Amino acid sequence: MEIFHYTFDWSVLWRSPYGGMLVKGIVTTLHLSLLAWVVALTLGMVVGVARVQPLRWVRFAGGAYVQVFRNTPFLVQLFFWYFAAPLLLPKQDQQWLYDNVPDYAYWAGVLALGAYTASRVAEQVRAGLLSIPPDQYRAAYASGMTGFQVYRYVIAPFALRIMLPPLTTEFLTCFKNSALAMTIGVMEVTHTAYYIDSFTWHGLETTSAASAVYLCIALCIIGLMALTEKRVRIVGMMGRGR
Amino acid sequence: MIDIAEVSLWYDRAHKALDRVSETIRRGQTVVICGPSGSGKSSLLRCINGLEAFQEGTIRVDGVSVRDPRTDIHRLRAEIGMVFQHFELYPHMTVMQNITLAPMRVRKKARAEAEQKAMALLERVGIPEKAARYPEELSGGQKQRVAIARALAMEPKIMLFDEPTSALDPEMIKEVLDVMTGLAQEGMTMVVVTHEMGFARTVADRIVFMSEGRVVETGTGRDFFERPQHERTRQFLDRILL
Ligand SMILES: Nc1ncnc2c1ncn2[C@@H]1O[C@H](COP(=O)(O)OP(=O)(O)O)[C@@H](O)[C@H]1O
Ligand SMILES: [Mg+2]
Repeated sequence: MEIFHYTFDWSVLWRSPYGGMLVKGIVTTLHLSLLAWVVALTLGMVVGVARVQPLRWVRFAGGAYVQVFRNTPFLVQLFFWYFAAPLLLPKQDQQWLYDNVPDYAYWAGVLALGAYTASRVAEQVRAGLLSIPPDQYRAAYASGMTGFQVYRYVIAPFALRIMLPPLTTEFLTCFKNSALAMTIGVMEVTHTAYYIDSFTWHGLETTSAASAVYLCIALCIIGLMALTEKRVRIVGMMGRGR
Repeated sequence: MIDIAEVSLWYDRAHKALDRVSETIRRGQTVVICGPSGSGKSSLLRCINGLEAFQEGTIRVDGVSVRDPRTDIHRLRAEIGMVFQHFELYPHMTVMQNITLAPMRVRKKARAEAEQKAMALLERVGIPEKAARYPEELSGGQKQRVAIARALAMEPKIMLFDEPTSALDPEMIKEVLDVMTGLAQEGMTMVVVTHEMGFARTVADRIVFMSEGRVVETGTGRDFFERPQHERTRQFLDRILL
């Protein structure tokens, strides 16, 4: 097939060594974004909970985190973690990092994507917590439960259900943002597509394939989350009229 | 049983929600608190179980000072049941789970024992058949009766009610008041914020009238309704006893 004098050669997608590279890229994209999501979820919960605490300085710390990470470009943050952050370490630690962590770019990517997504997750967590009436917290505390128990048994199970749809969106964003890790040299699927192009001049096929991969995975995630939502739906509440 | 001495509470520097409130509630007494909206009734109730950190004065419950840092506040709260205007049942739990949560997590009761007690309480409030239901499947009156059963499951020494019938349709008010009247007759110590003047007249040992964070007047049922001492009280009664 030929259009605009371009000859398609889809075999770059499976031909050795490119096929293997693509598979490796896909796998890297997957665990990079999954790891970043674990960081984002953990950190985001802590920061989000901090933002609704009665203690002023705790609230302030949470707010500061969100403002800094949400209001600077993700690309700049990525560069910060990769190029600048190691320079802040003491000399011997820097050396240790360069000697022992050859794939530092990957870990910088996880950290950057995790920290950035955490600020967005925190806002969703905060909104979810604020949507629970104050008397619901009071009812739980009044029964003698500790703060941890109140969140563990009463607030979190309910708030997480409210947060499921917005968190799905954040997860998808996290997943798609992982493509930017190519700018610091991480060989995830987008970078791989681009890399194969530089040898074969068949970037059209490889980037199409990369797009298809993102789309498929995203659709899988959406399906999975819809299933989860259905499973944890509270009787008589939420999803009414669906 | 409850000794409130010169308690003042500020929510922020400018806004004084309680102004040197003093009141003593003896074991087995039922005290009704009434007053216009925003007069500090809920705030006072929350001070009694330490949900509100009042800045001045002391409250002793059974001789234990609520604000004393050495007091185990969780243990104290476990002895004080609280019922709210909007029920505040935990929406993701069945009626049974709502009632057994605190006995199991705070009192460390075995499930079987907690469930047995819960069933007995549901019998008592007249809805044993709803044990496996979720809160959103119940009527308002049923929800409030579950909330009372949930508080009683901790075998409290004191019960606090914050406008327990204000969110109910008229035909459901009686079923809730009947449960409360029964409790009072059995000798439960109760503090009830309510505008149900019929309940106040027949059940309360004393009625406290609050306005703008202060106790304006307190009296026995008869005195309060027939010989109100203050102009404020008279105006309030005129409005409420149409
Ligand atoms: N959590 C809170 N934060 C700030 N102000 C509050 C809070 N709760 C109550 N207030 C204020 O304190 C005053 C007393 O409120 P409240 O105790 O709820 O009165 P009542 O129960 O008699 O209607 C009101 O002016 C109210 O706006
Ligand atoms: Mg109130």
